[in-house]
Amino acid sequence: MSEITQQTPEGGTPIAGENPVYLKDPVLDATVRMVVELAAQVWIERERRITLESLLEAQGTLSRAAIESFKPDAAQAAALKRERARFIEDVFKELRRIPPTV
Amino acid sequence: MSAVPETLPALAERADAAYLDFVEGFREYILGKGADFEDRLNTVLLAEQARRGQPWDDVEQIREYVHSLPLGRLRDRLSRTQQEMKWFALRRSFESQRAELLAELDRYDARGPGRLELDPNFVHPPYVNVHFHLQPGGYYKDALSGYLYHYGTKVFFRGDNDHDELHAKLVARVPAPADGRVERILDLACSIGQSSTAFRRRFPSAEVTGIDYSAPMLRVAHRRAAMLGDEVTFAQRLIEKTGYADGQFDITFAFIVFHELPLRIIHETVREAARVTRRGGIFAIYDFTGTRDKSPYQRYHRWFDARHNGEPYSQDFCDCDMNAILADNGFEVAAAALGQRSGGAGYMTNWFATRV
Repeated sequence: MSEITQQTPEGGTPIAGENPVYLKDPVLDATVRMVVELAAQVWIERERRITLESLLEAQGTLSRAAIESFKPDAAQAAALKRERARFIEDVFKELRRIPPTV
Repeated sequence: MSAVPETLPALAERADAAYLDFVEGFREYILGKGADFEDRLNTVLLAEQARRGQPWDDVEQIREYVHSLPLGRLRDRLSRTQQEMKWFALRRSFESQRAELLAELDRYDARGPGRLELDPNFVHPPYVNVHFHLQPGGYYKDALSGYLYHYGTKVFFRGDNDHDELHAKLVARVPAPADGRVERILDLACSIGQSSTAFRRRFPSAEVTGIDYSAPMLRVAHRRAAMLGDEVTFAQRLIEKTGYADGQFDITFAFIVFHELPLRIIHETVREAARVTRRGGIFAIYDFTGTRDKSPYQRYHRWFDARHNGEPYSQDFCDCDMNAILADNGFEVAAAALGQRSGGAGYMTNWFATRV
């Protein structure tokens, strides 16, 4: 995706930089961002689970016991690991935004 | 109600839609009564004002006080975060379908109804090189800007504009010229053309033209109008130098663009609108209200948006005298305030001006 690295406003209010610190300690800023991100991830999962449960129940195709005893095969396990990596990246990418010095 | 074609492209995954649904809800929560930042911070600002025994002079004073409060700093953090999250998710979702989305635009470019007029030699003035509302790449450098903008504004309007209801309502309120003649309408800075199509529906026999500097926006505008079956011309032109003939338009329209313009361009655009709007024609503007007579919190919110939400020109716009600028350029203004939107301090007003 194309990027513009430098904006060129004509006068007006100076624009804050890419990664402003609001809470006086960048770790706190990152912590708040991670909490909100986690809430988003939790909502995604909840929305999907509600969708799934509704569909499964309506179609009568799956029991709760089958879900509990599910064992992923190798390909499924690899896919789960990829999903887990994406999940962790989404939540904890904020750690990279903490500057090494303040 | 007749079915409206879904002109917003689908996101790549259900999870992306759920993520943005969360952001929309979270935005509602922090701007509205959920977190209740506005009322709580305004109360302490007014109490501090009373303690000091004088009104807040300037926004810098307000800013300093808000930033001394943990609640104020957290409010800023969360405001910025919800905006960043929106663009993060949209960008990732559309990026994964870039080729398909661009092919879709290619398919529609030459399709009717309506016409797309892009200028291969168009030069973007430097002042438009801003990440407005933190949109990645700004409004014109990314070929997917129009799609990002469309979904981004859907989240911004928190469900009130999913099918352009807001645009339809605001366009419906624009007064027709006193003589009733509406043959040509110009939509300045039309972006993805939601007002343009609303005008075409209100005045089906009128020729409607939407102009913008952003080719990606105009391509999405054209695709959207074509999908809806609305005949509109979308042209890549500058609003301060449209190139149209004197007195060509019966209605000239500008929806929330003036606060994104430097003062110099505000003056030039009003002058240009006066030139292309015929005598007796209407120049209708919807934009932010001034903030000087607003609550301390609302004044702070405007400053925050200007500095932290990529709206560098909005403070100057809110402080300028649009009535005077319009009058100086040959308009007679009949302003009527709109009701306030719930949540947030981006309150809109309107200027309905007649070219005399």
